[in-house]
Amino acid sequence: MAAKTKTKQENVLRLPAEQLFQKELEALIREEKNPIPEGWKMSPRSVLTYIVGGRAGDTAITPKYIGHRRLVEIAISTLVTDRALLLIGEPGTAKSWLSEHLSAAINGDSTKVIQGTAGTTEEQIRYSWNYAMLIANGPSPEAMIKSPIYRAMESGTLARVEEISRCASEVQDALISILSEKRISVPELSVEVPAKKGFSIIATANTRDKGVNEMSAALKRRFNIVVLPAPESLDSEMEIVTSRVAQLSQNLDLNARLPEEAVIEKVCTIFRELRNGTTLDGKQKLKPTSGVLSTAEAISLLANSMALAGSFGDGCISDGDLAAGLQGAIIKDESKDAASWEEYLENIMKKRGAEWLGLYKECKKLLS
Amino acid sequence: MEPRRERKPYVFGVRHLSPAGAYHLRSFLDERKPKCILVEGPSDFTALISDLTGAKVKPPVAVMAYTSQTPILSILYPFAVYSPEYQALLWAREQGCDCRFMDLPSSVFLALQDWKERKKQELLVNGDGMLPEEENSLPKTGLFEKTDRETFWEYVLERCESPEAYRSGAAEFGRNLRLFTEKQREAQNEDSQQSNKGSVSINRMEENMEAAETVLREAYMRRQIAEVLQSGVLPEELVVVTGAYHVDGLLQGEPMTDEELEALPKLQAEKTLMPYSYYRLSSHSGYGAGNRAPAYYELVWESLQREKPDYSAKAYLIQLAAYQRKQGNPVSSAEVIEAVRLAGALAQLQGYHIPALCDLRDAAVTCMGHGQLSEISLAVADTEIGSKIGALPDGVSRTSIQADFYQKLEELRLTQYRSMTTQELSLDLREKLTVKSEKLAFLDLERSFFLHKLCVLGVSFAKIQPNTQEKATWAEKWLLSWTPEAEIQIVEAVLKGDTLEQATSFVLREKVEKERSIEAAAKVVEEAFFCGLPAAVRYATRVLQEIAVDAASVTELAKTATSLSVVVQYGDIRHLDAKPLLPILAQLFLRACLIFPESCVCDDAAAKEIAKAMEEMNAVVLKQEGLSEERWLRVLSEIAKRDDLNTKLSGFAAAILLERGEMDGEELGCEVERRLSRGIPAELGAGWFEGLALKNHYALLARMTLWEKLSDYLDTLDEEEFKRALVFLRRAFADFSVAEKSDIAENLGEIWQINPQQVSEVLLETLSKEQEEELLAGLDDFDFDSI
Repeated sequence: MAAKTKTKQENVLRLPAEQLFQKELEALIREEKNPIPEGWKMSPRSVLTYIVGGRAGDTAITPKYIGHRRLVEIAISTLVTDRALLLIGEPGTAKSWLSEHLSAAINGDSTKVIQGTAGTTEEQIRYSWNYAMLIANGPSPEAMIKSPIYRAMESGTLARVEEISRCASEVQDALISILSEKRISVPELSVEVPAKKGFSIIATANTRDKGVNEMSAALKRRFNIVVLPAPESLDSEMEIVTSRVAQLSQNLDLNARLPEEAVIEKVCTIFRELRNGTTLDGKQKLKPTSGVLSTAEAISLLANSMALAGSFGDGCISDGDLAAGLQGAIIKDESKDAASWEEYLENIMKKRGAEWLGLYKECKKLLS
Repeated sequence: MEPRRERKPYVFGVRHLSPAGAYHLRSFLDERKPKCILVEGPSDFTALISDLTGAKVKPPVAVMAYTSQTPILSILYPFAVYSPEYQALLWAREQGCDCRFMDLPSSVFLALQDWKERKKQELLVNGDGMLPEEENSLPKTGLFEKTDRETFWEYVLERCESPEAYRSGAAEFGRNLRLFTEKQREAQNEDSQQSNKGSVSINRMEENMEAAETVLREAYMRRQIAEVLQSGVLPEELVVVTGAYHVDGLLQGEPMTDEELEALPKLQAEKTLMPYSYYRLSSHSGYGAGNRAPAYYELVWESLQREKPDYSAKAYLIQLAAYQRKQGNPVSSAEVIEAVRLAGALAQLQGYHIPALCDLRDAAVTCMGHGQLSEISLAVADTEIGSKIGALPDGVSRTSIQADFYQKLEELRLTQYRSMTTQELSLDLREKLTVKSEKLAFLDLERSFFLHKLCVLGVSFAKIQPNTQEKATWAEKWLLSWTPEAEIQIVEAVLKGDTLEQATSFVLREKVEKERSIEAAAKVVEEAFFCGLPAAVRYATRVLQEIAVDAASVTELAKTATSLSVVVQYGDIRHLDAKPLLPILAQLFLRACLIFPESCVCDDAAAKEIAKAMEEMNAVVLKQEGLSEERWLRVLSEIAKRDDLNTKLSGFAAAILLERGEMDGEELGCEVERRLSRGIPAELGAGWFEGLALKNHYALLARMTLWEKLSDYLDTLDEEEFKRALVFLRRAFADFSVAEKSDIAENLGEIWQINPQQVSEVLLETLSKEQEEELLAGLDDFDFDSI
């Protein structure tokens, strides 16, 4: 199935991790020296190298997740012990990103994924039927539509459940017995499918968004939980933003030059300050805004500014492009956020000197 | 092995507080069966070894050495059950072999410490020294960090399987650490010579002094080794137990010569054994390393004893889970199992088989804490640090102060209160006339002195409870509960004196010297009085007098007088001759009388404090005989009458006079009329009234003349003046209760001939929204700034 639906690379908006970093994965497998757990493509240590960067023979491995190496170690160790892994954190802390890369490295396949929504049903977690065939022939293996989890159990690989807390509680509960018994029963065919070695689930959940369902204690107990924090320092956040923007612009053909370091620093500074409610030096308090202002948003803001510059400007991000992006990202709840933003402009940005003056003026212009 | 090396004794490098070191050292000793063991630690501690290794001693215990003269310095050598040094001592006792400490004597250590301290001060005073840099060049430990030195040690050396592996590993570790620090120091010294000549940072100087100390210590230890060898012990029969860092230093170089030994500085030093706690072990990082998680290390020690290397990991997680459950947080066995597996996987990811502390903690956070350390932080602290406290058998090198404490405890029949359960003790300080001996008659008083002394010394044995009968100064209520921690605090008090009395006097004296404020001195007088220390009372009083001569504000004077008057008043009951205090009290009183009127020239913010002082002083004068009441009244009426003082204070003085019956209705009427006459700025008049109202509300309510005058005054104001006066009057009446306010309204209503019912109706009516807006709009023109 997968082979047939594979589209030509050029037309795809965003390639899965295992194709994007195919060379690195191959190099790691080639240079493997440590024992490989059953069902895995490489050793846990190589997975760690793939995620946090390093070398495999002659090939440089780019870091995929920057900062908090220990958390990645915990995540990988969890999967070694065939436990399910739950990544939770504020929006934009690279939960899905990490989950995708983990499964890409471990299985070479990050595509067995259930995208959780309020409308996700239990059938999508377990299996459903091709009703035409079901009615014509009765229950049969051919009439069955297997869920990504079902397929992962059969093949002994990882399945991913995105945004698990958006699913209704009863749907989440369908996972409980799968995770504890590691088998799925199909009463219609009177069979029980056991999971092969290597099967596990990586789920991600949001702590801050509205419209999420609290996870039951029973389900939480079946996961090892790793909380992903926002980047620790301005430097690590800038590193993340720089590398991701570069990757994005390559994919999207934005026709603009990559943002300069100063621009990235400005965006990250503003985001961090508004997120934490205090200036970077910690000397001045300020009013935070209602939005999350995650690292992911900073990345898309810069890509957006590049698109503006590429399509309507001279291909170089100007203060005006940046201001438009900033305003869009920061002002979510019109009245309150606008006030906080203006306060920030006047109290903090205006006093930052000549470097920030252009951006300040553009932002002011947009506000009035 | 080369022959020359064979002639050297066996130096077993350890890490202080290292379970594996302790374990392997024991098996090493079993194998070698030495005739003599030398252990790193002040050589004069050798005398304490037999006490230290007694059967009833329960580690953690510590040896403390301290100077007997000020400034008091101390050094502390804690031993846990898993200290290699401690196990070496135990082994020697079991096998009947000779065992000594071999480091510089504590007197020299203390002298060196004193020297370092003084050098540092010099550097700071001369201004050459840069402030110590905050950052630490060593990697910190904790979640999310790469393998640090501590963890490396735990992975590699705490898991050694043979004594030989541990010995060579530790020696190698020490050697590298030595090279590293030497290189670093050289580089830094070069740096500082190049960059700014002459100025040395404190940090660097400390490092250099540290290095110098190491040189001295190692030379001395080599001398000790040489002495043992000269006494006929063969090198093969001697085992030297020392920090891994010193292994090379002890094997190379010359022993200290007699002249050098002679030249070492010395300070008179005392030493004692004391019980110690794991909590202190984890927070006092002065000695050795590896003590951040004593309870966990004890688990590692146990797992070595049981020869089950994975025992400590499981025990850690099980204990942690048990603690969580006890706190009402459900933790399933499945979660514990998963945590054990996760910790194992984490260790394997680093290439080791047995998880280290950081793996265990991270696994616990992930599996039991839902990813948040905060959820299990209490359990982590309990499992890693624990609350274990050591014990020494009665009579084993008890310090003089402990002996004093226990003797007093018996004498005062308080022994039964030395238990973990909290017990209440009520004391009646008066003489009991029904009992025979004088000693029993004043038993409770003596108890009170004793307990107060403990409070001053910061011993957490007794806590005084607020007294229910406020005036009953002859009664005291205490809550007593004994913790081993209290024992440690008592031992530490020995730094301040040999007996409880001496130590308490010392503490009180220090307090006076340090603060040198009249208030602090008075407080100390009071404390000394409660402790029944006449000498300390006298001393503090003298200091008090010295300070009181110089400027002091009325607020300070009043507070001091209050403290003193308590002492004077209840001196009898505590058998204190209060006479020496009387002249000082009189002196303070006189001073207060003299400066009070002038102090009343102040702004409203300060007036609040001064009003309080006036009130306190008034109370002192009322209570205390021998102070001229007439003079005080004169001062008050001067304040009340004068127009150039803060009107609020004038009003308050009038209120006091009124309360004491020194001002009658007529006088009050005149005064009100004068204060509230037309032409006097509204804020001054109203301020006066505010002061008057600060005191006794009922005395005011009952005097109709007052309200008549107030009414007259209001009539004289024009609209603008009224608005201004209103603001102040409102404030003046803010402290009145609702009932009192309606009484005022009734009073005024009577004067204005209005039906009381109508008045209260108007009062209770709420404003409609339009009215309110209208009124608020009217206020826009009002100039608040000028008020």
